[in-house]
Amino acid sequence: MKIVHDPDVCTGHGRCYLLVPELFADDEFGHGFLSGSGVLAEEQMKAAQKAVDSCPERAISIVAD
Amino acid sequence: MDNPQVSFTFHDAAPLGVDRTAGWDYFSAPGEVYERDGLWYLTSHRAVRFAHQHPEIFSSAKAFDSLGSPVPLIPIAVDQPAHIRYRRVLDPMFAPRVVNKIDDELRRQAREIIAAFAANGECDIVKDLAELYPTQVILTMFGLPLDDRDQFMEWTRLVIGASGGGAGAAATEEQMMGAVSLFGYLQDYITKKRTAPGDDVLSKVLALTGDEAWTDEEVLGMCFLFVIAGLDTVAASIGFVMLHLARNPELRRQVAANPELAAPVIEEVLRLELPAPITPRVTLSEVEVLGTMIPAGATAMLVLATANREGRSDDIDLPTADLGHLTFGGGIHRCLGSHLARRELRLVVDEFLRAIPEFTIAEGYEPRVEWPAGTLHLASLPICFPPRGYE
Repeated sequence: MKIVHDPDVCTGHGRCYLLVPELFADDEFGHGFLSGSGVLAEEQMKAAQKAVDSCPERAISIVAD
Repeated sequence: MDNPQVSFTFHDAAPLGVDRTAGWDYFSAPGEVYERDGLWYLTSHRAVRFAHQHPEIFSSAKAFDSLGSPVPLIPIAVDQPAHIRYRRVLDPMFAPRVVNKIDDELRRQAREIIAAFAANGECDIVKDLAELYPTQVILTMFGLPLDDRDQFMEWTRLVIGASGGGAGAAATEEQMMGAVSLFGYLQDYITKKRTAPGDDVLSKVLALTGDEAWTDEEVLGMCFLFVIAGLDTVAASIGFVMLHLARNPELRRQVAANPELAAPVIEEVLRLELPAPITPRVTLSEVEVLGTMIPAGATAMLVLATANREGRSDDIDLPTADLGHLTFGGGIHRCLGSHLARRELRLVVDEFLRAIPEFTIAEGYEPRVEWPAGTLHLASLPICFPPRGYE
């Protein structure tokens, strides 16, 4: 499974990098971005789901590889 | 909202004063999308999100025309494509990493304000803390002297009165005088900072050159919006967070013992108690929202408060605090100051509980909000506590 972030939908609420810093980082605009490839190990699934659920813009999703 | 003759009976009759749950149930009861007194209410999460995602139909610029501001309210009263030009400049100035840099200074200020009444055994959260702190934070962000706080507050109180009143409120002469005084004050600093810039928002905007440069009118408009959007809202939220901590001794003790819990508690209070619970937009064309046709030129009321409660608890529910909310809006107009506001709330909770871990609402006082109001806030929150020194 892979986590993806859509920068066109993101408006910089900043929840992802605050709540899930192991997967997301912040840019100079305060917008989030994936700090790695997004490919998820089994033990990262819970954190990934948290990022999906916390995004007010629904800009983050988990998809099949 | 642009015609003072029209009465918004349905809107104004909402029972929000003492119990917000009753008030927001009242707004969600008629449905997801409906019309009352010529206003179109969007109450479900899906409906509100639809409007947020279609700024080309739901205009923010048109919705803020009715305030009659003498300067353009940048960036909220601007639609695309100009809007993005402003946000590209402003977003980096309000990003969390920038707020981090002034964290120590903002913490010091919160501590100082709280220390001023910590030995008294009583205070009014609204007057003694909530109104003072956001004003100081704005002055700090803008590189203006903290000594100007009380004067600044006097002007902004008048200005906010003009813009934040109930539906259809027109500006009074007194309120316009406040705006004129505030503009004069800001204009002085704009002139000063153009020649001698500091490391603050105002200086950074003024330092833009060439095609990027802002006119004085644009800079004033931005300052004016920050005053309208950044003072009352944060003040209101401080009041609501402290109200919930006063009413929930168990929760308060948990937060005092484990300060990390402050973040989810604040998120839940933000979800339930919105300072700006309904944000207006004006439709630029006819639009169908979830099966209901809304005509062009209609005022759409995005009821963020009901969207936040849909399928969720009407009380603080910490296990679901990460699910988020729309209190800071969504789409292109997502609240620019959201990161700063969250930091202010966090610092206030941290420093308050450190100085005053035990407190109760003054006996016999029933906390309530005024409605209708531009910003939903507690008029007063008198509390009592064991007096103590600050260590």
